[in-house]
Amino acid sequence: MAALRQTPLRLLASSSVRRAATPQAIRITTRGLASVTTMPPTDKDPTPKKKEPVLKKFQIYRWSPDEPAKKPHMQEYTLDLNETGPMVLDALIRIKNEQDPTLTFRRSCREGICGSCAMNIEGTNTLACLCRINRDASQTTRIYPLPHMYIVRDLVPDLTNFYKQYKSIKPYLQRKEPTADGKEIRQSIQERKKLDGLYECILCACCSTSCPSYWWNQEEYLGPAVLMQAYRWLADSRDQMTGQRKDMLDNSMSLYRCHTIMNCARTCPKGLNPGKAIAEIKKMMVQSS
Amino acid sequence: MASAFRPSAARILASKPASAIRFLPQTRVAAFHVSQRSQILPPGPQIVIGTVNDPVPIPTSNAAHGSYHWAFERLIALGMVPLTIAPFVAGTANPALDAALGTALVLHSHIGFDACVTDYFPKRQYPKTRTFMIWLLRGATITAAVGLFSFQTNDVGLTEGIKKMWKA
Repeated sequence: MAALRQTPLRLLASSSVRRAATPQAIRITTRGLASVTTMPPTDKDPTPKKKEPVLKKFQIYRWSPDEPAKKPHMQEYTLDLNETGPMVLDALIRIKNEQDPTLTFRRSCREGICGSCAMNIEGTNTLACLCRINRDASQTTRIYPLPHMYIVRDLVPDLTNFYKQYKSIKPYLQRKEPTADGKEIRQSIQERKKLDGLYECILCACCSTSCPSYWWNQEEYLGPAVLMQAYRWLADSRDQMTGQRKDMLDNSMSLYRCHTIMNCARTCPKGLNPGKAIAEIKKMMVQSS
Repeated sequence: MASAFRPSAARILASKPASAIRFLPQTRVAAFHVSQRSQILPPGPQIVIGTVNDPVPIPTSNAAHGSYHWAFERLIALGMVPLTIAPFVAGTANPALDAALGTALVLHSHIGFDACVTDYFPKRQYPKTRTFMIWLLRGATITAAVGLFSFQTNDVGLTEGIKKMWKA
C-alpha cells in the first residue's frame, strides 16, 4: 500500500520540503494525502543536548610478573559513565582500549555464559559482565582478582588447580553396559528434573574462591563448584559409577571440609546453590556407605 | 625472563653519548628496593603436582574419616538437643542423663576442635604444628573427660553444678 501511495504529487511535495525556505511554505506544499506535516516552527537546536558527564572512579588491582619485585597496587582510572556501557566489563574494556592497554583481564562472551570474567567487584565475587556499575559517582568501585588465588597478572587468577580438581571428579557419563534395546539412555521427567540447578554451572570459580574452607585447604578440599559438579553426576540416573564416585569423596578432606558457610550460594552469579548440592552429597554418602 | 630482555641501566649508558648520561631520569633499580614483607602466615609457593593436565590425586577412601565420621558428628549434635532440654523438663538432675550429657559434650567439643585443627593446620604446610595441636587437643579432651567424671562421681554432677552457678 505504501508503495501505491507514492504519487508524483507526494514526491513533488517531499522534494519541495527540502527546498522550502520557511516553515509556512512547508505546510502549504505538503498538504497532500495523509501525511500532513504539522511541526510547529521552532528555534531550538534539533541535536540532542550532551549529558553532564558522570565521572566515576575505578580502582583496579595491578600486579605484573614483569616486575616481580614491585608490590601489587591499586591503580585508579576515571570514566564518564554516560559514555560507558552499563556493566563493569564494559568499563574494563573501555579502560583497556582508551586509557591503559596493559590492564589485563579475562573476558569472552560478555553475557554470563563463559565464566571468564569472574573477579571480585566491590567485595563480591561475580562476573564483570553481569555486574552493573554502581552509578553513584561519589563511591569508588574497587576491582580485585578472585580472592586467595595465585595471580598470573592483574585480574587474571591461576585456575590450574581448580581445573585439575574438576578433572579428578570425572565429569562425564560413565556406563558399564549399553542400554537393553541399544537405543539412547532415556530418563524420566523426574530424573531429568534433578539435574536442573546443577548443569547450569559455568565453572567461573566465584563460589570456590569465596569459600573460607577452600581458601585454607585449596589443595585438598575440592570446593563448592567442583563438588556441585560431582553431585551433578551422582544425581544423574544414567550414570552407573555412583559407587566409585562416592568412594572418591569418602575421606576427611575432599568433601567434608564444607562447613555449610554458604558463601557459595550467596555469591553465585548464576543463582545456583552449591551448598545444597554438597548437603545432598553428604546425605547420599550416609544412606549407603 | 622478560627482565632479561629489558634494557638495563648499563646498556642504556653504553648506547648513549657521554654527555647524555646525566639526563637518565628513570633508571630502574626496583629490584633493590623491596620493602620488608611482614606477613604472619605467608602463602607458600604454588605447587602443581604432575602436569597441568593431570587430575589432582584422589585420597584413599576411608569412611571412618569420611561419611561415618560425619554421621557420628551429626548424631551427637542432634543428641545434644534433647539432653540439654531434659533436665529442664524433668526438673531434677538424673545421674544417668548427666553422664550422657557429659559424654556427648566432651565428644562434641573434641570433634569440633578437631575440625578446627584440620582446617587451620594443613598437613602439607605445618606438619609438626599439626601433630602438636592434635596431641594438645587429645590431652585437653582427656583432662576435660576426667574432670567431668570426678565432678559427676564425687560432686553434685553437671546439671546441678550449672544450676548452682546460675543461681550464684
